[in-house]
Amino acid sequence: MFHWLEKHPFFFAVAVFVVISFAGLIEILPNFAQASQPVVGTKPYSTLELAGRHVYIKNSCNACHSQLVRPFKSETDRYGHYSLSGEYAYDRPFLWGSKRTGPDLMRVGNYRTTDWHENHMKDPAAVVPGSIMPAYRWLFKNTADIDTAYAEQVTVNKVFAVPYNAEIPMADGSKSTVKLAATLEEAHADALEEAKAIAADMKDQDVKDAVAAGQIPEIVALIAYMNSLK
Amino acid sequence: MNKLMVFGVVFVAALLGLTWVIAGGQMGDDIVNKLAMLGAVATATIAIFVALKYIRQMQTDKASGKLADENWDGIGEYKNELPFGWAVIFLGLNIWAIWYFLAGYPVNAYSQIGEYNEDVAAHDAKFEAQHANMDEETLKEMGGSIFIVQCAPCHGLQADGIDGKAANLTVRLEEKTIKHVINNGQGMLGYPAPMPDRNGLMNMNTNALITDAEIDAVAKYVAGGMKGTEGADVFAGTCAACHGPDGKGMEMVAPSIADFNPTLVADVLKHGKKGAIGAMPAFNNLTEVQVKALGAYVTDLSK
Repeated sequence: MFHWLEKHPFFFAVAVFVVISFAGLIEILPNFAQASQPVVGTKPYSTLELAGRHVYIKNSCNACHSQLVRPFKSETDRYGHYSLSGEYAYDRPFLWGSKRTGPDLMRVGNYRTTDWHENHMKDPAAVVPGSIMPAYRWLFKNTADIDTAYAEQVTVNKVFAVPYNAEIPMADGSKSTVKLAATLEEAHADALEEAKAIAADMKDQDVKDAVAAGQIPEIVALIAYMNSLK
Repeated sequence: MNKLMVFGVVFVAALLGLTWVIAGGQMGDDIVNKLAMLGAVATATIAIFVALKYIRQMQTDKASGKLADENWDGIGEYKNELPFGWAVIFLGLNIWAIWYFLAGYPVNAYSQIGEYNEDVAAHDAKFEAQHANMDEETLKEMGGSIFIVQCAPCHGLQADGIDGKAANLTVRLEEKTIKHVINNGQGMLGYPAPMPDRNGLMNMNTNALITDAEIDAVAKYVAGGMKGTEGADVFAGTCAACHGPDGKGMEMVAPSIADFNPTLVADVLKHGKKGAIGAMPAFNNLTEVQVKALGAYVTDLSK
């Protein structure tokens, strides 16, 4: 075998590569396969949350806000438990961000509420003195794109087997199910139902009227997404 | 002694002489410096004579031994025994590899999370030692700094609720809040029985359900710090049964509505709250000491 390899440089190179990769493979691959499993309690996004995620991306929130809590005492004190790779299992694409001009938002749903987001998006400096974040008033007028969100849900469900309509184990031992609507009309109806619950906690009359009339302003979708970040 | 040997001795002497010229002046009495110098002598001598040995071998050795089967365009290779030292190192590496595979990597490897856990444990131990016996002033001061980070984003740096965007913590209750609680009930703070809404609130004085006018009166009375007489009778007839005649609450029954106290603050932090203004999430990430500190600080705010 060795004599044969010595006379065939290409296969020799391949054999060298296999030997050198071996240690890397047995050290990295099992760990990687384990860490990329969804963490218990990680749920896929609902239609409205996904629409909110699109609003987040559209407005480049990730340019100033990260979604990655590093394992340092100072960070976990402020933001909560450090991030695990399995928590991003349903993020396509992930929104880790690379710069924190504003604070991390990985677990913002744990310590901010619907009404806070509403006040803050209208006029950040009124809530956080000295904030340099601009106001995002158009979110209260623009309508969220439920069609695209639903299309993405169907796609990731078919292509990546994201578990919609399936029981997902939660941290407290219970099961939870995230619904994937059968038709686009149903998806709109479900999203509106979710939006109504959020609009009930809001104060902006225009937003309330729009939701009552069957429209979903972008701010409602964005808040649904923010509240889902836990 | 041949020419090569003489050259070697001269070269070693030159090296050591050079070392002495450069570093000799700084030797002093330090034993470490002397040891280093001794090391330099040994290193130079051994290096030169090992090099000489091989140079001489190259000069005198003749090719001999058995040729290997392969030859490349007429150039062959002798079959040499594996040097003993190499064999020892090879076997040693095998043993080390098995140890590393089974124990070294899985058990002793560096882990970022491990370092984090050690960090946190060390910090917590230091924190607890430092704050084992805090007086009221230190507690309040600590509560103040926690407030800026955790509470001020909603309640404002002045704790005034930023124009009604969150509860105003400089007063215990505002009229709006009291009316909302009476109308809708409240059961979020973890007391065994929730407070009923207005359809469950009897006024003992009139033996009837509480009326709109009575709600207005008692809301003004409680918001005004329970002074004066207007609304006092409604309070005595309706609220005092659970909140106590002085409004300071009763253990396991109802919280104080006369003032903030550490228990009430701890309950709100533990359960979160939803009321007239909006929702407040639970803050279960705070430690016991931090909750105590916030309790002391918030209690002090409305005094």
